[in-house]
Amino acid sequence: MSISTTLLSPPPTATSRLLFHTPTRPALFLRPTTFLRLSAPRASVENGAGIPASSAAVAVEEPAKAKPEAAEKESSNGAAASKFVDGRWIGGTWDLKQFKKDGSMETDWDAVIDAEARRRKWLEANPESTSNDDLIVFDTSIIPWWAWVKRYHLPEAELLNGRAAMIGFFMAYFVDSLTGVGLVDQMGNFFCKTLLFVAVVGVLVIRKNEDLETVKKLVEETTFYDKQWQAAWKDENTGSSKKE
Amino acid sequence: MAAAAQAHSLLFNPHQKPSHRRPSNRIRPLTITAASNAPITGRKLRVAVIGGGPAGSSAAEALAAGGIETFLFERNNTKTPKPCGGAIPLCMLDEFDIPLHLVDRRVTRMKIVSPSNLTVDFGSKTLKPHEYIPMLRREVLDSFLRSRAESAGAQLVPALVTRLDVPSSAAEPYLIHHNLNGQIRTLAVDAVVGADGANSRVAKSINAGDYAVAMAFQERIRLPDDKMEYYRDLAEMYVGDDVSPDFYAWVFPKCDHVAVGTGTVSSKQSIKLYQQGIRQRVSQKISGGRVIRVEAHPIPEHPRPVRVRGRVALIGDAAGYVTKCSGEGIYFAARSGRMCGEAIVKASEGGDKAIGEADLRREYLRQWDGEFATTFRFLDGLQRVFYRSNAAREALVELCGDEYVQRMTFDSYLYKRLAERNGWEDLRMFAGTVGSLIRCRIVGRARGYGGEVELLNRFV
Repeated sequence: MSISTTLLSPPPTATSRLLFHTPTRPALFLRPTTFLRLSAPRASVENGAGIPASSAAVAVEEPAKAKPEAAEKESSNGAAASKFVDGRWIGGTWDLKQFKKDGSMETDWDAVIDAEARRRKWLEANPESTSNDDLIVFDTSIIPWWAWVKRYHLPEAELLNGRAAMIGFFMAYFVDSLTGVGLVDQMGNFFCKTLLFVAVVGVLVIRKNEDLETVKKLVEETTFYDKQWQAAWKDENTGSSKKE
Repeated sequence: MAAAAQAHSLLFNPHQKPSHRRPSNRIRPLTITAASNAPITGRKLRVAVIGGGPAGSSAAEALAAGGIETFLFERNNTKTPKPCGGAIPLCMLDEFDIPLHLVDRRVTRMKIVSPSNLTVDFGSKTLKPHEYIPMLRREVLDSFLRSRAESAGAQLVPALVTRLDVPSSAAEPYLIHHNLNGQIRTLAVDAVVGADGANSRVAKSINAGDYAVAMAFQERIRLPDDKMEYYRDLAEMYVGDDVSPDFYAWVFPKCDHVAVGTGTVSSKQSIKLYQQGIRQRVSQKISGGRVIRVEAHPIPEHPRPVRVRGRVALIGDAAGYVTKCSGEGIYFAARSGRMCGEAIVKASEGGDKAIGEADLRREYLRQWDGEFATTFRFLDGLQRVFYRSNAAREALVELCGDEYVQRMTFDSYLYKRLAERNGWEDLRMFAGTVGSLIRCRIVGRARGYGGEVELLNRFV
């Protein structure tokens, strides 16, 4: 493995670590995972391209300040530069043919969503460097809308509708017992219709106690920037518009 | 005239008001006053512009062209590079008559890269052949604008301003203490325009208040020719928690090197970490490069609470005119300078009358807010929604693939105007935005990502 020895030999200075992607390859060989089989051939291809670059080593003027932080991050950088590898991730996108449900020709979209979620989570911890050669082309719009609706919207909708129905039933009963106004007559009244609207919106918007706080914070946040612009005019409005 | 006056008194006579009005809503007689500024005799209005960047130079040029005696203070007249992206919108070339030979590069393609390295090409299909983003060197642009202000009649004072004395009455002048070639001198002026950047001394003197700043950090890297060829007309934007928690990281081509940098508001102490992150992300594209310069600079995040006080007006970075989301400041600096200069010229009627705070507010602040506050607010909204979390950033990049979005973005950036909106396309874009945000949040959350697009919490 002459390639690995060449890679292991350059001194792991902060400078080369930062600029050259290839010296971090050794971390990959040390990983005792199944990824090793798939990644080794890829790594060697990249190393071939990387070595001329590193051998054409150029002097690097790093400011002294960056060195301590860089040295610190060296070890995590070394582990972080490995690429995401999965049997079904081919050419920068998920190979949908490998996601077929057992025995049918349909794609298992739930599995695709899970796989992509796992990939993004992995990338959070191990950011990959971009390259012009293998571009990522997968984006979530490839997954059809109904797959999303079926998996995420429908269960939630069922829950909320159930809550709304229960609240509605008991409120109608309660109002009827207090005022004697039946359900049909309640619906004819504007005030009742308003209450109904508030109840529906409330069920949609407020699902936990924390949601109230979130809504308040959101409103405050949205108007914050506007307030900063209006600050220049506050002086004037409080009457200090005397000409100087 | 008499009839009108009579009708006026009839209409507003409190004794004849209709009875259904609430007593607390008493209409007082309308008083209209006309006031005019005191004329200056024997000389023209004297205005000092402190800071000779794009803002200061534009202000000085507008003032001098209007007949005002202008003094432009600039402490650094050598051509040391300023830490700056260096990109200006296309309309600035026209509006400020910037000669094309100052433009180092014309960026015609942009790439935006998501945290999962999804790369979207921005502009290769939607930019028209005559459209591009001009990249300039700040020192070249600044010195050109300064010399043009000088030719318009402004007096360039190559000195460092050390103190600004604010007078206690309207009749007294402002005193500018400055260090000219080692000598401390004082200049008395009627009004001051503060264009001295993010750490404005003028702003401190008038207690203009503080603003939150982002720290922008960049390294200029000279690349080998083949790598530089890739960036010949391409600028890249990277988003992700590894490169910036609340801003973006960039690779911008400059005259003969690239600037690789990032910025952050909330985690300034970790800026080096984020710089590492962006270097890691572009490691293959900049391998073999040599760092020739490292620079950092604060970027204001919002306007100062006070932008005009007394006869002092703040413009440009000193006022905080930097958009969120894109961090663009050069154009707004120059426009605010010009607007402020023209405001002073108008209020003083060509330098013949004294001016006051109300003039500056009316002619400059109100015009500025009327024209640009919406733009700033909109970009703040965009930043809030799309820079929140990795999931939101993924959605942003997905959206950027849409041609309508690209067209809208370019029109609003390059020409500072809203392009013709197509109702259906707008609806489709909005639906697409919501859809992308929801999808990316689901995918981000599926294994405990921690996405925080709270607004969409309701709909998922």
